[in-house]
Amino acid sequence: MTVFNTNSASFDWRASEVRWPVTTDVGPGLAGVVATSSRVMWLDPSSGSMAYRGVPVDRLAGSRSFEEVASLLITGRRPEDHRPAFVEFQHRLRSSRKLPEPVVELIRDLDPATHPTRLLRAGVSALGCHELSVEDDLAGDRHWRELRIVGQVASLSAVVAAHRHQRSMPDLDLDRSFASHLLTVLGPGEPKAEDVATLDLLWTLYAAHGLDAPTFTSMIVASCRADPYFNVVSGLSALRGARQGGAGEQVLEQLAAVDSPGDARETVARILTSGGTIAGFGHRLYRMPDPRVVILRRELASLARRRGRPEVFENALSLERAATAALAPRGVHVNINFYAAPIFALLGAEPAFGPCLVAVGRMAGLVALVREAMDGIRLMRPLSRYVGEPERSFPGTRRS
Amino acid sequence: MIGDSRPPSPQTYGPGLEDLCAGDTGIGLVDGAEGRLLYRGYPVGEIAAQASFEETTYLILHGQLPSPAQLDDWERELRRWRRPPRAAFAALKRVPPRSHPLAQYRTMLTVAACHIPEAEDSSIQAQWRRPARILSWTAALAAAAIRHLDGKAPVEPTDDLGFAANFLYQTLGRVPGDDDLHAFEASLIVQAEHGLHAAALAALVVVSAGADLGSAVLAGMGALSGERHGGANQLAFEMIQPLDGPEHARRWAREALERRHRFPGFGHRVYRCPDPRVAALEPLAEALLERHGLGDRWQTYSALRDEVEGALGPRGIFANVDSITGLIYHPLGLPVSSFPIPFCLAIQTGWMAHCLEYLPDGPMIEPGAVYTGG
Repeated sequence: MTVFNTNSASFDWRASEVRWPVTTDVGPGLAGVVATSSRVMWLDPSSGSMAYRGVPVDRLAGSRSFEEVASLLITGRRPEDHRPAFVEFQHRLRSSRKLPEPVVELIRDLDPATHPTRLLRAGVSALGCHELSVEDDLAGDRHWRELRIVGQVASLSAVVAAHRHQRSMPDLDLDRSFASHLLTVLGPGEPKAEDVATLDLLWTLYAAHGLDAPTFTSMIVASCRADPYFNVVSGLSALRGARQGGAGEQVLEQLAAVDSPGDARETVARILTSGGTIAGFGHRLYRMPDPRVVILRRELASLARRRGRPEVFENALSLERAATAALAPRGVHVNINFYAAPIFALLGAEPAFGPCLVAVGRMAGLVALVREAMDGIRLMRPLSRYVGEPERSFPGTRRS
Repeated sequence: MIGDSRPPSPQTYGPGLEDLCAGDTGIGLVDGAEGRLLYRGYPVGEIAAQASFEETTYLILHGQLPSPAQLDDWERELRRWRRPPRAAFAALKRVPPRSHPLAQYRTMLTVAACHIPEAEDSSIQAQWRRPARILSWTAALAAAAIRHLDGKAPVEPTDDLGFAANFLYQTLGRVPGDDDLHAFEASLIVQAEHGLHAAALAALVVVSAGADLGSAVLAGMGALSGERHGGANQLAFEMIQPLDGPEHARRWAREALERRHRFPGFGHRVYRCPDPRVAALEPLAEALLERHGLGDRWQTYSALRDEVEGALGPRGIFANVDSITGLIYHPLGLPVSSFPIPFCLAIQTGWMAHCLEYLPDGPMIEPGAVYTGG
């Protein structure tokens, strides 16, 4: 048995092994609970350190393509050390983006005003019907191994974006990276290398983040040995939540009201006095600024400059400062969505499309964690304590 | 689960959160030592014998039995939602007929979810307006998905039938006799809530992230579709189906036991004793098989159960509800690959109740992972 002091400030969520059963503090929302052990990623909420397969994330962000990061997360091998294997991985990933025509048509049948995450979820679900037949084993083991679903979610997102904007879908070009393909749809024109790099950076930062709601949901579903498409539909359902991917839309609404540092202070005061919360602030795990923000703040500054719209960055910074002044004393700090949302917007994505973009990146970590867990996984089934009515007899003769 | 109800305290638990008490609930008691299952205090066997599925869902969601007027309103509300958006049916044209019925059903639900009222409102008031629509839409769409397996067109609902009867009518194109209907409805009732099992936990995580109740139900279904969970009733029936009479069943079971075979429909993480849901359904399943001239299949099932429980009972492995529901669904005319669907329609009641219990002050659910990569 292992005792983990998950509540202590010095616990950094690393151990040489986990010997079950474990003893930990169990807080509301399962805070402090050790749900699994993993070699995929490490996240230390007290120091803000984060690493994928042992490589610090700040070393990956901005210097590696999303496909390289996906390969690292999923295979555990560094692309630079295993070039031929990476090339093969990348080819499989890219070629899986070809979608059956009826799936594209299913999305096009739907009202383009529908929230993009709902369109994406419907597309993934339909795709699962084409990929697995009733004769296939339900667990879809083969499909996890083949990684098709990572590429499929990326190209479905592009179909959703095209449908929302009523644009035609460009032909799939295997030489294009995930980021380049999606930016072609968001337009206008041929994507610039710097913008491709920005989207790669965002996906790198979103690729994995411990057992957040979409990932934990997927782990639970995988623990029942459900098919991968059911699994991803479930994970996307969690990503829809207002406390999850949905936060970006509110961030942009907030920013729209800010045009000067004075505006920023006013906006923060107005929201807080009316009992509201500042979108893009607060995180279940961190009691410090989200470590990914440092990287994104820099990225927004450079992207806004490239676009000739430096005020986007300045307004965001004013709002961050004003909100931090008000909220930091309460232990509430800025999170990744605060800067990701304006970056997505400058890349040409409409506000509601943010969660779909997050989903593309998150698939890498989700697949990596699920594949890792598949061999030794146990059905996730905690208990609850019954505090309801004591046993009583059903009032008789109700049935007519 | 009632969110935030306890201060952090130390607990010891195993992989898969085994033995972890995740929180308090007033909805159901799953007593694995005594073999009791209570909904809001009432033993499930008594409810199944006397209540309708509509009364049961009201009880589970609201915490008490409805008054006649409340029941009337609830039944009317359920009937009101029997016609899901046409687009959800049209989605079937975009998927191959040979895909798994649960996957087709899921696709219809994801398409229907593109047409729901007040879709992006996750206030508690909006969440409470959702259960009736979810229960009725899912039943209509599930019926269509099952018919689609044989290339048959959907059947329009009828408003003069109850929930269970209308579902069978929309699935089979006819209403079975009263006794058969009662057996089917009882199977829905005993499967309508079962504590914090994997699917309920998945639903709870989704709703805790601020998503709508329908999204939570989709996640629950995902977990349920797995072969370790809801898919088990299909596997259990497929195990029994080829057995040719009680003697064959005994012989096969003994050989399988020697091979240390795992028997779908047997054993349960919580119940270490006979499953109370099996006890409630036993007489109904036996009589139903008898009525359909399939008494032999009951004997086969009983023989298999005797052998397996005789050998594994001392280790706490007994027949669970998945072992028996297929024996009711098959004679009614439901195709084997659709067996998880009635379970799905029933158990989502419990998931929704847990979500609505958790929501008012429950924080986002997010456990941790210990990194062992060196």
